[in-house]
Amino acid sequence: MTFEATNAQTSGLGFTGQSVKRVEDDRFLVGEGRFVADINPEGVLHAAFVRSPYPHARVTRIDVSTARRMPGVVRVFTGSEINELTNRVPPLASIKGVYSPLYTIMSDDVVRHVGDPVAVVIAESRPLAEDAVEQVVVDYDPLEPVPDVDRAVEPSAAQIWPKADGNVLADTTDTFGDINDAFTKAEVVVTERFDSHRLTNQPMETKGILAEVDPATRHLTLHSTTQAPNVLRWIAAGITVNQGPGRSLRQFAVNKKRRKAFVGAAREFLKDQREELRKQDPAAMKTQRKAENAMGTLMRMGLGLLAADDFPTVKTADIGGGFGCKGAVTREELTVVAVAKTMGRSVQWIEDRVENLTNGGQAREERFTLSLALDRDGTFHGLRCDAVIDHGAYPGFPFGAAITSLMWKVYMPGPYDFKAFHLETRIVATNKGTVVPYRGPWAHETWVRERLIDIAAEKIGMTPGDLRRKNMIGDDKLPMSMITGPDLDATMSAKKTLERALELIDMDQLDRDKADAKQRGHRIGLGLATYHEAAPGPPNFGDSLQPGNAMLLFEDGRATVEEDGRIVMYTAQSPHGQSHQTTYAQVVADEFGVAMDDVDIVWGDTDRTPFSVIGTGGSRGAPMGAGVMRSTAREVRRQVVSVAADMLEANPDDIEISDGTIHVAGVPARGVSYADVAAKAKSEKGITSGPVFEHVDRYTGTGNGGWSVATHVAVVDIDLETGFVTIPRYLVVEDCGRIINPAIVDGQVRGGVAQGIGAVFYEKMNYDESANLASTTYMDYLIPTAMEIPAIEVDHMETITGGDGDSRGTGEGGMIGAPPALGNAVSDALGVQVTELYLPPHRILELAGVLG
Amino acid sequence: MTHTSEELAAMIVSVSMTVNGNATTLDVDPRCSLADTLRDSLGLTGTHLGCEHGVCGACTVLVGGEPARSCLMLTAQADGCEIVTIEGLSDGDTRSPIQEAMYQAMSFQCAFCSPGFIMSTVALLAENPNPTEREIREELSGNLCRCTGYQSIVAGVETAVEILSSQNILSSQNKERSGQ
Repeated sequence: MTFEATNAQTSGLGFTGQSVKRVEDDRFLVGEGRFVADINPEGVLHAAFVRSPYPHARVTRIDVSTARRMPGVVRVFTGSEINELTNRVPPLASIKGVYSPLYTIMSDDVVRHVGDPVAVVIAESRPLAEDAVEQVVVDYDPLEPVPDVDRAVEPSAAQIWPKADGNVLADTTDTFGDINDAFTKAEVVVTERFDSHRLTNQPMETKGILAEVDPATRHLTLHSTTQAPNVLRWIAAGITVNQGPGRSLRQFAVNKKRRKAFVGAAREFLKDQREELRKQDPAAMKTQRKAENAMGTLMRMGLGLLAADDFPTVKTADIGGGFGCKGAVTREELTVVAVAKTMGRSVQWIEDRVENLTNGGQAREERFTLSLALDRDGTFHGLRCDAVIDHGAYPGFPFGAAITSLMWKVYMPGPYDFKAFHLETRIVATNKGTVVPYRGPWAHETWVRERLIDIAAEKIGMTPGDLRRKNMIGDDKLPMSMITGPDLDATMSAKKTLERALELIDMDQLDRDKADAKQRGHRIGLGLATYHEAAPGPPNFGDSLQPGNAMLLFEDGRATVEEDGRIVMYTAQSPHGQSHQTTYAQVVADEFGVAMDDVDIVWGDTDRTPFSVIGTGGSRGAPMGAGVMRSTAREVRRQVVSVAADMLEANPDDIEISDGTIHVAGVPARGVSYADVAAKAKSEKGITSGPVFEHVDRYTGTGNGGWSVATHVAVVDIDLETGFVTIPRYLVVEDCGRIINPAIVDGQVRGGVAQGIGAVFYEKMNYDESANLASTTYMDYLIPTAMEIPAIEVDHMETITGGDGDSRGTGEGGMIGAPPALGNAVSDALGVQVTELYLPPHRILELAGVLG
Repeated sequence: MTHTSEELAAMIVSVSMTVNGNATTLDVDPRCSLADTLRDSLGLTGTHLGCEHGVCGACTVLVGGEPARSCLMLTAQADGCEIVTIEGLSDGDTRSPIQEAMYQAMSFQCAFCSPGFIMSTVALLAENPNPTEREIREELSGNLCRCTGYQSIVAGVETAVEILSSQNILSSQNKERSGQ
């Protein structure tokens, strides 16, 4: 969608670095935001799903005859009818050692979690569709549920995916350095097991899709809440390829235009990505060959895409948060696409909250046994981890649990100087909801490492601050590489944030507060946690995850000047609360020397905006997204200045731009406007339509850094009578490089911390011992309110190595740092070592010894 | 249970209410929620549905000056009532003092929750023009935000208190309440 930047602040002072008010708020605050549920074309039909009440069962009969006769019902599709129209969902990326089952977009034979869709009703309104859902009769033959990873790995457990190795979908081992030497040499080994519980992302707007069909051309436009429009576009096109490979191949062969386009695109791709493709590990594909007919499905989809002349357009409206779950494409969304395409009618589905809680994306149910090898003086040698991920039933598309284990492999040693690291991970299927990325999907590597460091500090009699300080990589060692591969430069300033945080804590005051608290029947404790994240990271970060990955990590952008002098920027990002429209207008207005309201930012329209696999995610909006805005704008400015210099009979080097006037330095009165220059260039170049100036660029980052770091400090106050925990102080010292808009960065940090507080004290997906879901409303899944989230102090440091573009991502860190800082604070307060993530009041009282 | 179209027609009820100062009479399905009527029949999509079970507060509107969950209230129950939605606060594109305060404080991120928070704030400040931070947090605890950690929203309410108290407090409150 396109919006004008209407901020009326004057240009010239520079917008970058200021808390410029949000452009988005002009529409939001007066109720004029436009979310997907707000788009209701005439005659649109509504979908409602029939879902399994069982966690694991065979579908023996499905009777939709009564439902079909209900008022307002236009059509009812059973799962098998939908599956006949569609292909199975293949894994987007093959990850070595990970078996990723192909699955149908609706369940027609076996249901694998509560909420698994088995039929869909299409009706004139949502209430009428829901009425008819009640009338669909489904007979189930219950199968033994697999409620957790313990049961899943027992030989007698039911097997959820027949071609997997039991329920283990992946069993990977990675070793860096001489791990045996590190553990033999060390004087002390500290080992602990950590358990985390299942969470869910819970954006305030649920997911939704409107598949709009052009009645004349039957072209599909998908209005969606997606964080990654191109992923939705291509999977929607591929999933609905409804012909065999032979037929597709023949069509492709006779379609000259398609052939030409494909050969051109393929040649370009191969030219750009030759090296990355060569790095791809054939072993990763081999793991996938087990999947039933994976190659056949891919052939059918791939050749179908080659033969097709028309692909869906994906448009994003305003999006009400995502936190990762809207980067996933769900089976329901694909069902709606298939239905709209088949019926030739526009169909809308807005997920309701119960659906969103049931299967809108879950995360973080993990288990770790972590060992730290160190000397009595605190010197770290090695880190060893055995981890298990509860995968749920279906793999997330395009990224599920497997991406988490890849990231642990690289991140887990953190900002510390370890000589060796060893990780074993098992990904285990259970009859639960789909795991998707959730804000810092790898976050628990920080939780367990930072928790274990505190345990080790106690064991050897050091303070947590001193033990961290002793081992953290600082300027004296930089630049260097992590033991797991990625290069570190001065942007990995974790140690500076730790030092600064320690300065900002008054330990003597804390001791007095602790003593006072005891008098009141309370306990006070302080916890520290430090992490680093690749945001976007150095050039070798992607390949450290898996060779060849770097080819996903570019960011394309386009800058134009229109004939009326307006500056129009096209981004591949799909913002959903991160204020891109404001921050990009700040950066671009500064480049062009204009006011922010002279700039339009265009996003979320696959017909107009650049391609990206990721869209918005992975803390890339500032470094990559704004980076390519700046680099393309700079080139277009150069073009404009070149024409203006001719008009002003001056040397381009002498040209300045201020307040939108292009003039010779020191002579602003004799200047020309962007419109003047555009008019001149238009006639000179003989342009009849489209932009007068234009530049398209691919951005890959700035230099060898790209690290975003922070140290979190939590102080908790525990009431031993109620077990209730308050947070009298929460401090984040962070370094994300050059800040474009401090208020927006503060908001990202605080919002992440709030989700971390929720994760530790309030939120839990409750599956019972039979894998039935007991938390399907906000009465059961507790999102913290303004009463539970304290004021959060944010202290900024700005280490810059990559020039004026060195802004690094900051969206995920709050959620990474908060769980360990809080766990460490509770442990300090109670004098016990906490090893689970979830600390509700009754658990606090147990840990305190108040409850037996 | 299925119904004939005659049976369904017999169930339609007529509701008269004032929405943002405009008198409206509508025929609605008795089970229709006020939120659905505002959004679908009146096109007032500024009111958002976050949970549809009365917890998140995104759908908060004023009914007779009091905050109400429009997802839990039936349209039929609003017969004879005066309703104000987010669209009723501003004068065209000119933000009301509370909206302006939220703008200045950069209160929101995705802003899906914003209509509910703003309507709750209108009700709070009408009743208590000078709340403490604790009172603000307590009053707003009926609204969920997943993006901000609430600090910027609390700051927005505090800014609103400043703006409103620097104006003629009584007249601006009345304006907010009546939605003019």
